[in-house]
Amino acid sequence: MDEVIFLEVLEGDSVQARHRLERFPVSVGRGYGNDVIIDDPKVSAEHLRIERREDGALVLRDVGSQNGTYRVEPWAQLAELELAPDTRVSVGDTLLRFRARSHPVEKTVIAAPPTAPRPRMFERPRSFSLAMQALLGASLLEGYLANYGRTDWGELTVALVVPLGITFLWAGGWSIASRIARRQFHYRTHATVAALVLLGAVLIQPLLTLVGFSLGVSGNLAWAHHAAFLGLMAWGLYWHLRYVTKWEPARLIRVIAVVTLTFGALSRADEWLGNESFSTELGFRRALLPPAFRLVGAEPVEDFFADAVKVQEQVDALAKEP
Amino acid sequence: MLATLLAAVLTQTPVAPAEPSPLPAPRAPDVSSPTVPLGALPPATHELFQRLEGQVAQVRIIERRSGTRSSIGSAFFVSAAGHAVTNYHVVSDVVIHPDDYTAELVLKGGGEPVPVRLVDVDVVHDLAIIQTAAPVAHFFDLDDREPPQGARLFAMGNPRDLGTTIVEGTYNGFIRDALYERLHFSGAINPGMSGGPTLTGEGRVVGVNVATMGNQVGFLVPVKHARELLTRALGAMDTGAQALLETVRAQLLDNQQRVTERLMGEPVPQQVLGSYRVPGRWSAFLKCWGDTPHDPEVPYTVTNYQCSSEEDIFVSSRHRTGVVSFLHQHATSQKLGALRFASLYSALFAQDPDPVEATRQDVTNYRCQSEFVDVAGLPVRAALCMRAYRKFPGLYDLVLRAATLNASNSGVDTSLTLAGFTADNGRKLARRYLEGLSWTR
Repeated sequence: MDEVIFLEVLEGDSVQARHRLERFPVSVGRGYGNDVIIDDPKVSAEHLRIERREDGALVLRDVGSQNGTYRVEPWAQLAELELAPDTRVSVGDTLLRFRARSHPVEKTVIAAPPTAPRPRMFERPRSFSLAMQALLGASLLEGYLANYGRTDWGELTVALVVPLGITFLWAGGWSIASRIARRQFHYRTHATVAALVLLGAVLIQPLLTLVGFSLGVSGNLAWAHHAAFLGLMAWGLYWHLRYVTKWEPARLIRVIAVVTLTFGALSRADEWLGNESFSTELGFRRALLPPAFRLVGAEPVEDFFADAVKVQEQVDALAKEP
Repeated sequence: MLATLLAAVLTQTPVAPAEPSPLPAPRAPDVSSPTVPLGALPPATHELFQRLEGQVAQVRIIERRSGTRSSIGSAFFVSAAGHAVTNYHVVSDVVIHPDDYTAELVLKGGGEPVPVRLVDVDVVHDLAIIQTAAPVAHFFDLDDREPPQGARLFAMGNPRDLGTTIVEGTYNGFIRDALYERLHFSGAINPGMSGGPTLTGEGRVVGVNVATMGNQVGFLVPVKHARELLTRALGAMDTGAQALLETVRAQLLDNQQRVTERLMGEPVPQQVLGSYRVPGRWSAFLKCWGDTPHDPEVPYTVTNYQCSSEEDIFVSSRHRTGVVSFLHQHATSQKLGALRFASLYSALFAQDPDPVEATRQDVTNYRCQSEFVDVAGLPVRAALCMRAYRKFPGLYDLVLRAATLNASNSGVDTSLTLAGFTADNGRKLARRYLEGLSWTR
């Protein structure tokens, strides 16, 4: 063993404290007279010593501790142990490791070339107020357009209060996670991301209606709605997690992609497996817009009823299923 | 809702006068006339009952696994060989699920029920012929003579399992403009009496008890259909369960062909709704109703116009067919902007007509296609939905939905329901219907 060795107090996989030992003998224990003090109630005041033997080898010796000293691999109580590199020893609830100065370390992790830190768009104070205004405006407009009866002020108030409340609660949850993981709340940033995600959620349906109606899409666009929702969810998760974890963006994207696709697949599994439940519903797209929004032409009555043969074939196939 | 509508029809419209019968009408019981000598009076009700009680029996449908009855009805003997007439809807479980249900008859005086065989059915007129193994001594002759309106009739049957009873009422002729022929009997017909006979004072069968709307409004199947079915059943071979299902299918196919030809043979009348023309009362069997709810607080008006046959064919307790109905909703607003009117119009377009009753065992789910369609210059968003019958291949329920798209503050949303038609006939009718939409600038 080398001249100088390090005594490391471990906590899980990481090192809690590291002591450089140069002069021997070294005493280890809970008492203040020791060279290395260990604050573990199960460690004796004078617990062990590390000495240099005459042949130069370093030896660890239990000096009559109450609870004993244990070698970790293989597990055995010891009175005396010759220290080899990377020896681990257990005293009380504490794990000690001995390493020589020549102990090799792992290769340096290759990082992407660092760039100058630039403030992200939604870290700016303006972004938050803009996102919030856009969300409230969209929610209010949707509430107004969807109500064809008498103006219901209560409903319009709800259209303002609900997104506001959701945004603040949502951002609160994420900023607590940020605080735990990175010691900083990032509340405004999380609130901006939350407002943008909610804005997307408000806009998905009108946008799909617009596309579906203008282009005369026959189906109910359920898959497009699902895909848009998953995309929005992934985008929101990505930016929230950027302020919670220290993972590389590439790794984060991979994890979120897996999570999102799994979630998407599970929520559609019933459909894909063909477990359609019985229903008397007529499944076609109902949303109508003013005639001026129609971009595609109307087909002749003749063609419409000729196409109906396909519907007949579909239900005939269904009738053959058990 | 249908029942209340039908009830309203019957209370509002007088019944058509009875058609003259080819034979001199039998003398109606007339107790108020003091000139008739006592001996000429028809037999009293109790004599009639005593004479005929043995010819009426209770039908019990036995569910095999529980070994006990799942429903009851009535029947009456019509041949010495033990043939008896009842309603199709009484024995429908035996037709549709022959492995799960059987039928038996409880004869006069109680005693052990006797098993019966299902011989033939007429699903459209709701009749069935069953047969006991043993011959019977007394039975009804089915001859067809229509009594005059107001004639006193006696309905027999086993209401609510209370034993064979006799109920007095009056004959009120054929239901006017019915899609499926029915007689109107003003007397109490109650559940359990289905399949029993309704008789004149002499004990001659006029019709088969089939339905009630409460308040003394009862319906009978005219006896001529029972006679036709009996004639066919007497000549028929031994029929299996599959053959009966085939019979039902053939009858449903014939019936929808008849309805289709009747509708296609008539021009679609035009009904004015605002600046639109929509299909009106297409055929006499359709009953039409309309209304515009007036609420001064809402910034729009929606006018409803709906027509329906208000009758259906009973296939099983959870499956009906043979329905023709349609509904127009004309929406207009001077106050709503184009986008808010589109919200209103979308909400109307999202409301589907009342579904025709059916279960997973009877039909598939709907499949639809929707397109923009040009109906003689009028742009329309149209959707055609179909579902197939599982037990009766070749028959479908079809729903056509359409919404006009020519204006940003008015429009007609319309739906047509056709239950139990072939795909070709359904498409033909739906096309004729859609082409009945137009717009006057």
